[in-house]
Amino acid sequence: MQYSLLLAALLSASSLMADDIVQAENTGLSEPTKNITVVCPECTKVAPMQEQADSEQVLSAEKDILINVTGQGVAPMDTSSPAQAYALAKRAAVADAYRLIAEKVKGVRIDGQDLIKNMMVKRSTVRTSVNAMVRNANVVETTFKEGLCEVEMEILISHSQFAQ
Amino acid sequence: MRSRDGNLNFSLSICTVISLLFSSQTLKADEYLISYRYVVKDATLYNETLQIAKAMQKCVGEPQTELILENDGANDLKKIIAENSDEFIDAIHKLGLHVEHNERTENLQNSSTTILTLQTTCFKVDFNDNSVRIAPLK
Repeated sequence: MQYSLLLAALLSASSLMADDIVQAENTGLSEPTKNITVVCPECTKVAPMQEQADSEQVLSAEKDILINVTGQGVAPMDTSSPAQAYALAKRAAVADAYRLIAEKVKGVRIDGQDLIKNMMVKRSTVRTSVNAMVRNANVVETTFKEGLCEVEMEILISHSQFAQ
Repeated sequence: MRSRDGNLNFSLSICTVISLLFSSQTLKADEYLISYRYVVKDATLYNETLQIAKAMQKCVGEPQTELILENDGANDLKKIIAENSDEFIDAIHKLGLHVEHNERTENLQNSSTTILTLQTTCFKVDFNDNSVRIAPLK
């Protein structure tokens, strides 16, 4: 009786070992490859990004959110005076700042398309688009240096604006 | 007993003074339709359009925050706005603009177009001697 029990235990143990071997063969991984550890520098960034997402401000009735952006614009090449260059660059920078506000508040639609032929990437296209209405944005500061105009803008988002 | 027309001259003179005073303060109030649009391509201003037209029928709505521009007695709104364009366009930005942005990156080369638009809005315009009051109707 005791021998039969011992035999049964040995048989079950050997069957389990056999299953492990079969699984390893099915996955195509030999025993040494299973012990490889992958060092991924990007993986370490996952935790801070998660923390950032957790600390992201959420609009609530109690607390307004102040959004701050900096838009950039350049003057056209064929301007008749530095003053005109400044005015045109500022207009472009304001449009960029409005776009950044719209992106932050409403979001961006992204479409991507890759064309691969004979195992090679022939064309890679990414299209992004933003559509929004921006009201009550204020210019905080404007700087113009070496043809580049930077406009810092801010907008206060309150819960009541969206509670409709 | 004094006749009914006893104060006619006096009343007429008062009315004349009041009407003169009123006409000197406010020449006339009109309604204008204004739209604004500008296009920025690759971070450079490409096109800017400000359309101003006198309304051909009465607008509906209440005047909102008004903008006061300097005026040297002219009744031409286009001319007045052209002389104070920066101030007027800042006020338009405050009203709110629709943002339409499209960006395309092909083989790592980027190009973008941003269009900011003020949809056609009715403005009440009061022409005074030295100033013009412009208020959007909503």
